[in-house]
Order: sequence, then C-alpha cells, then structure tokens
Amino acid sequence: MRRTILVLVVALAAILGLGTAVIAVGGGASNVTRARLEKSLPTVFANTYVNQAHILGRHVTARSLHAKAMCDKHGPDVADVGPGGDWVCLMSWTDPQVPMPPEGYGKFELNVHSNDCFTAGGPSKLTGFLTITDTRGKEVTNPLFEFDGCFDPGADNTPTGVFFPSLFAVTSTTLTRDAKGGTSLKVNCGTGAHGCAGTVVASDGNVNLGSMPYRLKEESTGTLRLPARLPPGTKEVSFEVRPTTGAGPSGPATIPVERP
Amino acid sequence: MLPSCWVPTFRRMTNPLAVDVIGVTKSFGSICAVDDISVQVAAGEVYGVLGPNGAGKTTLLRMLFGLIRPDTGTIRVFDKTWDEAGVGVLEGVAGFIESPKFYPYLTGRQNLEGLTLLDGGIRPGLLEEILDVVDLADRIDRKVGGYSYGMRQRLGVAASLLREPMLLVLDEPANGLDPAGIRDMRALVKRLAGSGLTVLLSSHDMDEVEEICDNVTILDRGAVAFHGTIAELRTMAPDPGHVLSTTDDERALVIGAHHPTVTVTRDPEAALVVTGPRTEVSAYVAALVRADVDLLGFTATRTPLEALFFMLTDTTSANGSGRHTDRLQEALR
Amino acid sequence: MTATQAAPLTREAPAQAPRRHPGLGAALRFEVRKLRAQYRAWAVLLGAVLAPIPIVVIIHGQSRPPKDTLFGRFATDNGFALTLLVLGFATQWLLPLLTAIVAGDVFASEDQHGTWKTVLTRSTSRARIFWAKTLTAGGFAVLLLVLLAASTIVSSLLIVGSQPLIGLSGQTIAAGTALKLVTASWASTLAPTLGFTCLAILLSVWSRNPAVGIAAPVVLGMVMGLVGGLGGIEAIRSLLLTTPFEAWHGLLTQPRFTGPLVDGLLVCGAWSVLSLGAAFLMHRRRDITGG
Repeated sequence: MRRTILVLVVALAAILGLGTAVIAVGGGASNVTRARLEKSLPTVFANTYVNQAHILGRHVTARSLHAKAMCDKHGPDVADVGPGGDWVCLMSWTDPQVPMPPEGYGKFELNVHSNDCFTAGGPSKLTGFLTITDTRGKEVTNPLFEFDGCFDPGADNTPTGVFFPSLFAVTSTTLTRDAKGGTSLKVNCGTGAHGCAGTVVASDGNVNLGSMPYRLKEESTGTLRLPARLPPGTKEVSFEVRPTTGAGPSGPATIPVERP
Repeated sequence: MLPSCWVPTFRRMTNPLAVDVIGVTKSFGSICAVDDISVQVAAGEVYGVLGPNGAGKTTLLRMLFGLIRPDTGTIRVFDKTWDEAGVGVLEGVAGFIESPKFYPYLTGRQNLEGLTLLDGGIRPGLLEEILDVVDLADRIDRKVGGYSYGMRQRLGVAASLLREPMLLVLDEPANGLDPAGIRDMRALVKRLAGSGLTVLLSSHDMDEVEEICDNVTILDRGAVAFHGTIAELRTMAPDPGHVLSTTDDERALVIGAHHPTVTVTRDPEAALVVTGPRTEVSAYVAALVRADVDLLGFTATRTPLEALFFMLTDTTSANGSGRHTDRLQEALR
Repeated sequence: MTATQAAPLTREAPAQAPRRHPGLGAALRFEVRKLRAQYRAWAVLLGAVLAPIPIVVIIHGQSRPPKDTLFGRFATDNGFALTLLVLGFATQWLLPLLTAIVAGDVFASEDQHGTWKTVLTRSTSRARIFWAKTLTAGGFAVLLLVLLAASTIVSSLLIVGSQPLIGLSGQTIAAGTALKLVTASWASTLAPTLGFTCLAILLSVWSRNPAVGIAAPVVLGMVMGLVGGLGGIEAIRSLLLTTPFEAWHGLLTQPRFTGPLVDGLLVCGAWSVLSLGAAFLMHRRRDITGG
C-alpha cells in the first residue's frame, strides 16, 4: 500500500514538474489569443443583442450591428495570450437606438478560461442592467448584462486589425494646494491602441493657468503638475483636454479646489 | 464418503510421464524458493512431494499450474509445456493450491457453474454426481461466504473433479481439516488413485504420504533431499524407538542388558524406550514374554519415515544448501 | 464429512480427454454473472437512473441560477440548458468515479478474494480472462452513460420544459435541433469515460487493491482537471484525459467546430491503448504467489 501511494505521488509530482517545465520553455502557449477573442466576442454579442431586442419587442438583425472588437490582456506589457480574468475588449456596434459614447466604443470585461470559453460583461449604459422589462411588463433577466461564449481553439489566428483609441480621463475629484501653492492632477489612460498624448490646458475661468503636456501608455495612470501656482482664492479650475493621440473627454472637466 | 460403485472416468494415457520437471529454479528477490529441482511422475502413479514449510513444494506446484514462471528449466505436463501449448497444458489437469478460494458473494453452485464456463462446459449430470460425491448437495445453494473451512475444501475437490482430470494435483489437501475430514480426504484420494488417476500430492505430513503414495520426493529449502519409492525410504529409515510398558520394568531392564544389540533406557517420564534393529527388538520382546514379563504397551514413538524425514530436513549444514544426498549418507553412517 | 448412500452411477470410459475450447463468450458470461451478483454495480446503475431526478428538481427550484458553470444561467428555466449543466458537472469527477467502481475493481477483487489461482487453473488463458474483464468494464461504462444521459435528458425536459436553447454563440437553437445536440454532447463523453475505464483497469491490475483501483482514477481525474484549468500549458492540456470531456462545446456554437472532438478521440484512444497495453503485459507476466 505504501508503495502504491509512493508511486502515485511520484507520478503526480512528475506531471506537475513537467507542467512547470513546459510553462518555462513554452512561454505560455495557449489557444486563447487576441485574434480569436476579437472574432468570437462580436458574434456572441450580436446574437445576444438580438435576443435582448426580441425581449424588448424590437427587431434587430445580428449583421446590422456591424459589431467589432479590440481586445487586450492586462495592459500593454503583458502578451495578449492565455486565459485570465483580466481581458478587456473595446467593442463598437451600430444601433440607432443605442448610440456609442464619444470615444466610439464600450468597454467590456472578459473572464476567459483555458477551455476556450468566456464570460463577458459590459457598460450598463449601453447594455442595460441586470433585469429588463419585456413587452408584457414582466421583469426578466437581461441576457446582455452578462453572457457566455465559447470559441474554436483552432480558428484563424490572423489579427483582425481592429483598433480603438485609448480614452484619456481626468480622475481627480478635488485639487489640493501643496506647500508651494501649486497643485497636481491625477489622470489615467484607458485600454486602446497607442496610448494617450496631448495637452491639458488649465484655466481659472478667466486666467489661463498654463498647459501641461501628457504622454501615457494605455491602461496606466499618471499625475500632471500645474505649471503655475494657483492664485489665492481660486475656487475651481477647469481643464480642457486637447488630445493628439487617443480620445479625450467630450468637454472640459471642472474640479473644485479644496478649501484650506 | 464415496459410494463404492462410483468410479471417476478413466482415460488412457499416451505418454508414460504425466509430469516431467527438469532443472527448475525460481528465486523471489534474494530468496531462492526452488533450486534446480527435477521430478518425474509416471502416469497412473501416486506421487508425493514432501517437505517442511518453505521447502518449495507450493512454489513448484504453482509453476506446474502456470501461476508462477520458473526462472530456468522446463515443466512438461503430459508432454506439453507452457511455452508451446499455453493453457492447453492444463487439459486433463485439475487440483488446488493451498486452501481453495471461491467468490464469497456467489453460491457454491454459481461458483462451480462459472468455473465450468471457463472449462468450456461439462457433460450433463456430472455436477449433480460430483456434489453427491463430495457431500455438498444440500448446501450448494448457499453463499460460499458462509461455508466452513471443510466445506470449502470439498468445494475445491468438486471444482477439480468437474474437469474429469487425468492428473490431480493437491497441495496439502488435509491441511486445516478436523480428524474426520482428514480421514475422509485420505479415503477419497486413495479411491481416486485406485481408479487409475495420476495423483501428485504435496504434504508436510509423513503419515499421509506413507499411506497413499508410491513414490516420493523430499524437498528441503528449495532443493531435492530424496527421490525414490516409499519402500526405498523405509529401508533407509532408522529405527525410531518404541515405548515399552510392562508389568515389571526392572526385570525388563535386566533382560535388556543381556541383549547387546538393543538399547533399553528409562526416559524422564519413567517409561521404557527400546531402540535397535527391528529383528533384534522382536527377539528382545520374545525374551520378555518367555520371562513372564507381560507387555502392557508397545508403541512406536514415531514412524520410521517420520524419523528419516526430520533427519533429512532438520540438519543444518555449515556450507549452505549443500548436497543433500551426501548428508543422508553421512547421517546413516 | 459423512458417508453418503448414493444411487449406483453407471459410467462410460471415453478413450481420451474431452477437448473443450471455451471461447471469450464463456469467460465474458462468467464476468457478467459475477458483476450481476454484486450490489454495488446495481447501486451505481440505479443511481444513474434515479439521481438526476431530484437534482433536476432542486436546480429548477433555485431562485439564483448557478452562473459560474456554462449554461447555468439558463438552467433554472430551460430543460436543455439544465441537461448540459448536469453534463458539465458529471464530467468533473462523477463519470471517472462511476466507471472506476467497476473497472477499478474487476481485477483487484480477484486479488482481494484470492481467486486468481482458481480461475487461472481452468481452460481459459490469461489473455481471454483479461479481455473478458475489460469488455465487462467497458460495457458497464457504456450502459452507465446511456442511463445517466437518458435519465437527465428526460427528467429535464419533463420537469423544466423544452424551450429553445441559447447556444454558446448567443444564438437561439430550436427544440428539435437542441435535443439532437444535447444527445450528441452526452454521447461525446463516451470516449473520455472509456479512457478512464482503461486507466482504472491499469490501476486495478498494477495495485491489486480495489480501493486504489477505484479512488486513484478519480484523484488523477481531478488533478488533471485542475492542471487543465491553468494557463500557458496548452501542450500538456491537449494530452490530458479530462480535456476531451469538454469537446462538446463545439457542437453548441455557431458555426459548429469539431476540432476538439477529433483531437479528443485520438487522445482518448492513445490513453486507452497505452493503459490496456501496460495492464495486459503486467497481467500476463505476473507471478501469482498469493491466494
């Protein structure tokens, strides 16, 4: 009996050891690739969209949506290969009743498993919330809120060539004066191609407080320092983003200054 | 136990040797269980393989049945070897090794019927006849899990007889049975042997072998210590000694002093023990009777063959397994 | 033993031993008889028929559907989805266990009862006995799968209903097609199940211990399932015996893909051949010293 257990343990250890070796050498080979997700997600999304439309009493065809997606795994520094809960796909589609936001896409989060299946969820503003009301007034589960799909691990792996720009956003909610009387602004650059670059012009309603250039990689955060000191008594500062690469917010962001 | 008119089917043998074991060796790791053994069993005879526990008897029989592969040597059964004929070697051969084992969750009948499936069938009516022979007809439809040791032994005999064998191989058939069981088993074996069946019997009990066998091989620690007939064995056997119980032990001792060829001693339990050649002991006893010393008891301490057996298998030689025939001659000198 | 009086028996004396050649069929019949007499085989088959019913009822009654498994989100009110949910669950460790209960025991039980010396000293060769036992274990696995699948499908459709199914590409599948696809999905698990049957036979022959023969395939199956869920080891994942259990996903997408099904068939074939080959050699060469 002891011999049996010993052999089984050794066999298990051998399998695990082999697995580790394969990971080390193979460098994380997987059937889960960006191209396959970019081809599969829009198909599953479109079909599910049609189901939702049917529940809502609308008639939409999958083809009319022209859905397309760009997927990225965990930022620019990680290879877009392999399963994980950190896949982000930017997807756009055409539906007159559901216009795209200014950046042109919705951001979907995917949990992709090694068995080539995934679960996706997107922005509620575009897809709806957990439940929707059907034509008879009943509350039913919204199929588009969270949906599953599986893709063919042997599908064509050529890139789709779909790119969406990264979205630059100001994330500070208040501005604090520092010791020297200046202040800094927290910003981030979302998923997308090529990252974010451009200039942010700060003004105090009347006075131009200077412009701050920025260059950020996608899926990163940064801090911009106001070039000039804040005049005393400034209640709020308005920031206008002029992007050269990537998309920016639709209008200037006005941020209150913290009272001392 | 056997109805006197029951005779198992008897088949003519074409080859004179039923079993021909040539130079067979088997080791398990560093233990040599069987060391260059050769045995010939002629068709129709009753052959005994004798030896203490661990002598290699069971290993030898397992090799005959194909349960164990010998390291070297050949085993021919009715002129077929395992390499040539595979399981066809066991055609006409039946028996069991150590205590027979069956499926406890099946009834005796289901076990036997299953085994006949593996045999390729039996002639109609044979099962009922054999159940009568082994006296299991009334309990054959109970689960074997509830059988006693003796019942299982009889079931094993039944399973063997179902094959209508020409050669019956029994490994310690009386082992674990009560005296009545032992008596019946010996009677059965004698009856089967008497009908022309070849019987190969292994045992550690000299009495059994002496009673039924024609020829015998004695094994000790994996090697052959003796080959030959029972008669030959008897001639080599030393006189084991007899316990004498008389009405006048003192006079018996005195008379014994006058017979130099016999030794009469008093053992710690105050009984007289007489040892010496048989003819001289007989003469001594006759002298006692003439001298009006009445014999109350005159029994052998053990059979001559038992004495020889212990002598052959108990002596430990300084240089390992050695040559057993040399030791035998040494002991008899 | 007591002496018995029996009626006089007349007997002929044939000239030579009757030559009987038992075939594989006879050995197979004996194995099936032995299996039929064991409670656990019946218990497993009965469980396969009856257990899905309460499972279906319970899941149907859940207010929050099990979203973490495929088709779980539709399972509370779609019969086809519920069937596939149960299928996904059964393939994790249940099918390896159910087949190992027989296959992991069929050889080792002879060691347990000491009966090798009884069956190997008749007129049937070791090879025939090996194949009789293997076929019995394989046949049991097939029967088990058929009963489990039929019971799950029928009880799901009767209790929950046969509404159109949302497939794995979000598409709507009509009830008629859904039934065919669901049946085909269950059928696709036969190959990996038989692979586990062969693995259990190997473990049964090697360990000579029924507990190991039954438990080890289940443990190995669970470990393989866990390893298969890891990322970055596609080379190993494609060789695991648990991966083909999920090949049915391709039947429910649009368009359907069958790559994993074909690959799975080859992998299961390889596992089966290698396991049986090794088991056969061990069985044939073994010295039976016990019993």
